[in-house]
Amino acid sequence: MKTNIKISTRNLNFHYGKHQALFDNNLDIHANKITAVIGPSGCGKSTHLRIYNRIFELYRNQKATGEVLLDGKNILDSDVDLLKLRHRVGMIFQKPTPFPMSIADNVAYPLKLHYKLSRSEMDDRVEAALRGASLWDEVKDKLKSSGMALSGGQQQRLCIARALAAEPEVILMDEPTSAIAPVATLRIEELVLELKQKYTIVIVTHNMQQASRISDRTAFFYKGRIVEVDDTTRIFTNPAHKQTEDYITGRFG
Amino acid sequence: MHKRDTIFCAICKAGAFVSLLLMVGIFAQLLIHSADAWKHFGISFLWGVDWDPAMDIYGALPSILGTLFSTVLSLALAIPLAFAVALLITESPEWLKRPLSQCVDLLAAIPSVIYGMWGLFVLVPLMQDYVQPFLADTLGIIHLPGGAWLLGEDGVGSGFGFLTAGVILALMILPYMSAVMRDVFRMTPPVLRESAYGLGCTRLETTRDIVLRYGIRGIIGGIFIGMGRALGETMAVLFVIGNMMECPAGLFSCGSTIATTLANNFAEATGLQQSALFALGLVLLLMSFSIQLITRYYLALTSTRRGENA
Repeated sequence: MKTNIKISTRNLNFHYGKHQALFDNNLDIHANKITAVIGPSGCGKSTHLRIYNRIFELYRNQKATGEVLLDGKNILDSDVDLLKLRHRVGMIFQKPTPFPMSIADNVAYPLKLHYKLSRSEMDDRVEAALRGASLWDEVKDKLKSSGMALSGGQQQRLCIARALAAEPEVILMDEPTSAIAPVATLRIEELVLELKQKYTIVIVTHNMQQASRISDRTAFFYKGRIVEVDDTTRIFTNPAHKQTEDYITGRFG
Repeated sequence: MHKRDTIFCAICKAGAFVSLLLMVGIFAQLLIHSADAWKHFGISFLWGVDWDPAMDIYGALPSILGTLFSTVLSLALAIPLAFAVALLITESPEWLKRPLSQCVDLLAAIPSVIYGMWGLFVLVPLMQDYVQPFLADTLGIIHLPGGAWLLGEDGVGSGFGFLTAGVILALMILPYMSAVMRDVFRMTPPVLRESAYGLGCTRLETTRDIVLRYGIRGIIGGIFIGMGRALGETMAVLFVIGNMMECPAGLFSCGSTIATTLANNFAEATGLQQSALFALGLVLLLMSFSIQLITRYYLALTSTRRGENA
């Protein structure tokens, strides 16, 4: 089977001011697959992820050089429309970030941003997104109540629903379960597995079990470099590099 | 408890108790001294329009309406301004941030009598020569329905009046309001901003839909702080409002506020007039009080609606 490459980074370097955080990252993200990015704290895995939607540009003195090809087009080019890019590449953060508005409005927000829809179309899309995030049954009777009143796991699924509503092609997840209780984490993992039917997913995680449970491919980062990237089963059973093996067997990290 | 802790605790308690006592005392004094006026005019003191020391007839309406009108005008001018200032400061680069915010903060250090003098010598002529003709003729507000009332009968002003007072008050409350709004913008969690930008929001959309909503309680708190100050401000207003005991009749009309009425008349007032002034003072205190209460009620209401108590 031919694999489709959705995102491809070429010689990607990243600087926080004078400090270089990423060194010559080359990584292919396969379409409709889950790619896990693992590595010890401070190895640059979140930094790498945050380049894919150029969210790092909110801060001064952060600079990425090299190429990040999304469907063959370098998103680091200056003529890229950031709003369109972020419409195509959604992001889920470490902590749930419900907006200070009702559950329904949270999900409707990106719809209002990107589409002109009638009231009923809007309601349908909100429902579809909430179903897509397997949250609908829990919130269908309280769509008007605040999104901030939900539990942590529900809030994170609300954020996923909000990201889905924008109909992205890629979903970036930056340790999406690190602030969430274990049972809720399992639900989100199941959800992520379902989502790969329609979306390309890149997930940064601290949790190696999580990476091995849900991902198809795994990239191991160490000190800003990509040490190894391969099929997840191979990384976890027969890694090519000593460093990878040491990390996944818990010898450091 | 340790002995020194006991002493410290006693001092704190005494302080808290004294402030409570003061509050009650001020209320009691105002009530006692205004008793004559209430007895004489009854509750209709509140909507009496005449203030005539010669006839010994006193009504509070011109001062009350004047207070409200100048406060509303100042808020209408200051809210957008404070918002813009706060936003500019939060979004500017570091080297600009400090000098900018210090300049705005310094506005709060200017004594109100200086504002009054500046108002009298700079703002009043400016209003008379440029602003009032501009509003009346160039914008043609006078031809709109209600425009004649808004600008006063003939649409020409002396430069004194409610609009001028509103401008000065707006400048005076600006630093307080923008300081609170600045904190609100700063306190928005970065990850919340990021997730808004991450959905493809522009800066305006992020600020308007997320930051503003997130900090709405703080912003309303800031507005009410400004409002409280504008209600009671005396000196600066005294210089420019025109000091007529008449109900507000438009932007350029002259009038007075409760505070200016007190300041203007208290020194030589005796008997019933003095009592009426105390009654006005009581009204002002109650107005600030109710604003406090409304704020608290409103904040409690919004916090339950946003689900923070759940």
